[in-house]
Amino acid sequence: MQTAKKRDLRHLRMLLWGWVLALMTTSLGWAQNNNSVVEAHAVMATDAAHANSPLKLAVLAQVAAGYHINDHRPSLDYLIPTELKVDPSDQFTVKDVVYPKGALKRFAFSDVPLSVYEGTVVVGTLLQAGKAVPAGTYTLKAKFAYQACNDHACLPPTSVPLTVTINVVPRNVPLKAVESDVFQRIKFE
Amino acid sequence: MEEQTPIENTPQASKAPEGPPQENPTATKSKLLAGALLAVVLVVGLYYLNRYWIAPAVRAQTKSDGNHPLAPAFSLTDITGKPLNLSDYQGKVVMLDFWATWCGPCRIEIPGFIELQKRYAAQGFTMIGISMDDSPEPVVGFYKELQMNYPVAIGNDRLGDLYGGMPGLPTTFLIGRDGRIYAKHVGAYDPSVFETEIKELLAVSPTDEDKGFHQAGQVFGDDKVELGNRAAIESEVPGIDLTKLTADQKVAYKKILESQQCTCGCKFSLLKCRQVDYRCSLSRKLAQDQLDAFLKVKSSGVATK
Repeated sequence: MQTAKKRDLRHLRMLLWGWVLALMTTSLGWAQNNNSVVEAHAVMATDAAHANSPLKLAVLAQVAAGYHINDHRPSLDYLIPTELKVDPSDQFTVKDVVYPKGALKRFAFSDVPLSVYEGTVVVGTLLQAGKAVPAGTYTLKAKFAYQACNDHACLPPTSVPLTVTINVVPRNVPLKAVESDVFQRIKFE
Repeated sequence: MEEQTPIENTPQASKAPEGPPQENPTATKSKLLAGALLAVVLVVGLYYLNRYWIAPAVRAQTKSDGNHPLAPAFSLTDITGKPLNLSDYQGKVVMLDFWATWCGPCRIEIPGFIELQKRYAAQGFTMIGISMDDSPEPVVGFYKELQMNYPVAIGNDRLGDLYGGMPGLPTTFLIGRDGRIYAKHVGAYDPSVFETEIKELLAVSPTDEDKGFHQAGQVFGDDKVELGNRAAIESEVPGIDLTKLTADQKVAYKKILESQQCTCGCKFSLLKCRQVDYRCSLSRKLAQDQLDAFLKVKSSGVATK
């Protein structure tokens, strides 16, 4: 009887410690990071580029849990679309920007479901390097512009600045494919 | 604690046990699993209990401590072309709503605000809408479509900063007859939440601070009412009051900010982040910490590196 009691007490202690541990770990998740709802970075499909040739760029944006940003083609005309804006460049021309398809979701503040992006968002850009771009290292600037909301409130429109470094190499230097798993998700035409 | 069955009731009662009862491993494992599941359910339950019941109640109580700052004055022109000065509403209860036409949660609140205006205007209440849209065109269209019955003006970031910055839209302030801010709500709420507070504030004389004000609604996000300082808003380092620095000290301080990177994800220096996005609360805090350290060093007479 005594041993059974001791055993039960031991089990209870284990349960209590387990509970304390669970509380501690979940409390870390309760902390909200209000500073960056969207983080984004850009990657190239190849490690370098050739003059007078196309090159692919992808922007990977991560939307914080609990938030959403609007589809590039928003469901309602008053909503601010997500947009990738590439700065004009002497060396590279934007040929196409490919946005993902949004997911339809219902929100308390709308009678109709809205097409939104949540979680990881991948936007592709097809660029064309100029005919006579000399070999060298070039910087391309862009902005991932968005406007985020959660179920109750909206944050102002803002953007994430992006800087891409592009190495232009002579034609006889082969290009190596990188980030293939990212570019497989983008339907370039 | 598990209930022990008295030995005399068990089938084995007729036999005298020779030693302690044999432990059933399966039963032990089941107990542990049940215990673990119970722990998870309790943690999740505690989280939601805290978020939706305990924390708001605690915040509501702490807000009724008499610390109600005066609402910053402003002079704007509303979208019909008339002057809109907060001072003209002295003695009235004002609900100041920062909103935008691109904000879904903001839009669904408006019909409720129109109704509150109708119901309580005669008792000395008024709504004021401050739109944070970039241009008046969509606001004018929305105003006409919904037949809004209260003044609406286009705001700006500086006005938002005077009111402590806009953590999100809608952000709504309840201002009493004494011109003091009694409540701040971030996010959309049912009009009944505001109605309770409006009625309480209407009942208070214009000369008395409502020290017993209990904020009825749930508070969402950063609910503390901290207003902006004009010197900080108009500073060379936006959001940081540099009036205590000499010209040379400002240069040195700005160099310090240029040498440090903001960790909000922008990859800018602290100085550039303040200049480019002065809504960034992280760079504001870091820059303020640097200023405090800078002033401390200067006042102690130790040369900075």
